[in-house]
Amino acid sequence: MPDIFINPPEEKKEAKTPFPREKHKAPGHTHNPLTAYGYLPDKVNFETRESEEKVILLLRQHPITLLPKTLVTALMILAPSILSIFPILSFSRLPPNFQFIAVLIWYLATTAFVIQSFLPWFFNVYIVTDERVVDIDFYNLVYKEVSDANIDKIQDVTYKMGGVVRTLFNYGDVLIQTASEVPNFEFLAVPKPDKVAKILQDLRIEEEQEKLEGRIR
Amino acid sequence: MTTIPLLGISVWLIAKIFILFGLVIYFVFALVVVRQVQLMTETLAVGFETQLKILSYLHLAFAILVFLAALIVL
Repeated sequence: MPDIFINPPEEKKEAKTPFPREKHKAPGHTHNPLTAYGYLPDKVNFETRESEEKVILLLRQHPITLLPKTLVTALMILAPSILSIFPILSFSRLPPNFQFIAVLIWYLATTAFVIQSFLPWFFNVYIVTDERVVDIDFYNLVYKEVSDANIDKIQDVTYKMGGVVRTLFNYGDVLIQTASEVPNFEFLAVPKPDKVAKILQDLRIEEEQEKLEGRIR
Repeated sequence: MTTIPLLGISVWLIAKIFILFGLVIYFVFALVVVRQVQLMTETLAVGFETQLKILSYLHLAFAILVFLAALIVL
């Protein structure tokens, strides 16, 4: 007997989320570990991350903020050869063995300067997950601070972008007021602050939706 | 003019001692960098940990090499 009616195959219902499934095609998604704006990054993991927690954003200060230090580094690298033109400023008045060591020590100092500039930039990150915002501060070689606040504790998100350089390179500050122990989170000099604020807004809406539907983890 | 008149010690010998002392302090700094990189890569992983650890060890090796060079050459 022929079938009169066959149920169409049920489509898989996906949970409504403002974040695309095809993350590799999403704008801002990158595999560069040195990126200042990583949307849905692949390999990001942090100490206090829960197993089901999904990292939405990884932010650092815009690389342009490293420009002054990069210029100083370039000058430091070139200094011994430039100064050798002027005998009074160079190491040429020292005995030859001291000259050699002086140049080595100079490059050691240059390396220390590069490390002191790069490591705080690299490890000073802001992470937004689907559950919370995390601020990892690496002030210098011997002091670090990690603070976080749940998304539902966010009360207000403001972003600031002013000045020629910031407008030109599209970066600014995102200020987050929370009702948690840390009242203020400041994402300083991060790229695309408008998009960051929008993502935080979407996450807050999603979190409220989850609360209403009773889907809280 | 390279010896201190009353003590009769060479100026360059004193300079060598100061340089070696400074390089020992720099060696401690390089060790702190290695340790800090280890700790921070445990706190935050972004897929650049191996390269960063290698760089911190290379920096430590460079510090040791400069210390040894100063010890031998000066």
